[in-house]
Amino acid sequence: MRRALPLLIGLLAAMSCLSPAARADDTLSFPVLVPLTGFLSLEGTSQRNGAVLALKQTPAGVAIASEVVDTGTSPEAAVTALERAAGSGTVGAVAASMLGTQMLAMLPLAQELKLPLVTVSGTASITEQGNPWVFRFFPGDAVTKSAHARYVVEELGKRQPAIIYQTTAYGQSGKTHLDAAFKALGVTPVFEEGVDPAAKDLLPVLTKALAAKPDVLVLHLHSGPTALLLRQAASSGVTLPIVAGSAMHQPSTAALLEPAELKGVCAETAASPISGDTPEVKAFTDAYRTAFGKDPDAFALGQYDGMTMVLEAVKAGARTPDAIRKALSAETFKGLAMTYRSDGKGNMAHSAVIVCYDGTSRVPKLVKRYDDPTLAAK
Amino acid sequence: MAAFQLLVNGVALGAAYALVALGFVLVLNATSAVNFAQGDLVMAGGLLAVALAPLIPLPGIVLLPVVLVLMAALGLLLALAAYLPLRRRPPVSVFISTIAVGIILQNGAAILFGPEPRAAPPLFGDETLHIAGLAVPEQSLAIVAVAALLIGAQQWIFARTQLGRRLRATAQDPEMARACGVPVTAMILVTFAIGAACAGAAGLLLANRYFVTPTSGGDLILKAYIAVTVGGWGSVPGAVVGALLIALFEVGVSSVLSYPVALGALYLTLLAILVLRPQGLFGEAVRRRG
Repeated sequence: MRRALPLLIGLLAAMSCLSPAARADDTLSFPVLVPLTGFLSLEGTSQRNGAVLALKQTPAGVAIASEVVDTGTSPEAAVTALERAAGSGTVGAVAASMLGTQMLAMLPLAQELKLPLVTVSGTASITEQGNPWVFRFFPGDAVTKSAHARYVVEELGKRQPAIIYQTTAYGQSGKTHLDAAFKALGVTPVFEEGVDPAAKDLLPVLTKALAAKPDVLVLHLHSGPTALLLRQAASSGVTLPIVAGSAMHQPSTAALLEPAELKGVCAETAASPISGDTPEVKAFTDAYRTAFGKDPDAFALGQYDGMTMVLEAVKAGARTPDAIRKALSAETFKGLAMTYRSDGKGNMAHSAVIVCYDGTSRVPKLVKRYDDPTLAAK
Repeated sequence: MAAFQLLVNGVALGAAYALVALGFVLVLNATSAVNFAQGDLVMAGGLLAVALAPLIPLPGIVLLPVVLVLMAALGLLLALAAYLPLRRRPPVSVFISTIAVGIILQNGAAILFGPEPRAAPPLFGDETLHIAGLAVPEQSLAIVAVAALLIGAQQWIFARTQLGRRLRATAQDPEMARACGVPVTAMILVTFAIGAACAGAAGLLLANRYFVTPTSGGDLILKAYIAVTVGGWGSVPGAVVGALLIALFEVGVSSVLSYPVALGALYLTLLAILVLRPQGLFGEAVRRRG
């Protein structure tokens, strides 16, 4: 009996290794915790789709599980979702909300749980907390707004911009960085005004901006307000060049306007997948359309690139969250939108592009790429 | 010239807001209940117009009657699900139930239509008329005309028809109306239907020029609430004037100052009215009843 007991224990241990539960332990989980409802649902849905598309590419020999959870717009919901995800198997990395307030709430918990958060949030402060578990695959405002201002000044030769921005945290951050970028270029805006996203009529602010005699309109607005302002500018016969923020590049923004209303309009963005400037990006766009029945935007591509880099790390042997974190921190990854590498704080994306519409189609053309434009602006 | 152009825009916006506030105040009068789903009904009307547009590829004016009928049906459902079972409970029950309906509408719209902003078809055309140096969108003129027509028709029904008299009797004193043989429950259902139809019309009108998303109703219910508070709690003309006042601040004051300052000035005005004339500009129809 005494000899049989170790044998029985050994047999049970061997059987448990073969049981479904044990096989599940080998499965790496990649939860997708993003805002699918609320005011950021448009961008959050793109983020979800990008992550889901990337996670379909399971590396050979590795079982992958993924669950999508809607974090809404409250920090509490995001923290709860992260806690729940951490308790459901071995988590490799988390595709985490692009909403800055949710990221700031999740960061301490991610550090405690030792889980890498892969996001496309533009909020600058998330990578300024000294937290080694956050990785941002979308250029921050310092990068995109430098490209925005440089295109206006260096390419268009304009020196009297009128800036119309949103009064939200997104808008304020963009406006601050635009101011800094224009100052670095020796340009002072002739007009600056914030607009609430709930404003229905943007003719008042447009009228005031035009009265300041600008030579270019610079916008940093959300999707709906961008389309509304462009429509009102077109119907008012405005002929000034307009360089908009990244919301303009989203296919859903362009869909609200007639191609003629877009003539001469440009926008900064991290990428424009529908412009399909390489065969790889074109293939991504086709796969995205097939999977989700809509066009991808830069947020989808950024999150896709981020999760693909995570899976590349897994393919190369990283099987724990810490190993994945180390790979993301140290490696350089050539994604579809750009080449990513960490600046030591988790900022992975350092490029921005300018796209322009020619008035005949809603698909913009890539006209200028800026790699690390902040360095040049300084 | 710019001022005149802003005036046209402001009146068009105010006319659409008036329809939102009107539906809100009708239900308030008939039931003493605040329908917090009114903003989301406007959103539903806008998205309904977006969904119908490919099926009926005609100008929005042809879609309008279809939207009115379907939204009236939705109003009946709202009354059956969220008001009638709770009518004997404290008013807060109806507040909560209409908030719940609003959230269901929002999330249902997000699932059915996705989060993208969308535009409904214009009522007649999408052209901009150039009159004496002014660029006036056809849609702005159409919004004013249709809103005036619908508000006028509603006033006529309330003032000149047997149905209107019964609706008014229900609104003024439901117990007395019931004692006089008025089918109060049916009248309440009709009121919810008319309120939702008004919301649908506002949704169609707003969704062309200002777009619609599943979350756009939250802002509109706040505006309806302010319009009714400014105009007088339960006053129909007050609601219309309150709505026009909001548009005046959003378009007129913001063109002189800035949008955030105009919004601040609107809330200061609301505060001043609450302090100096708490019954609102036109008096409180609902309190008078009690």
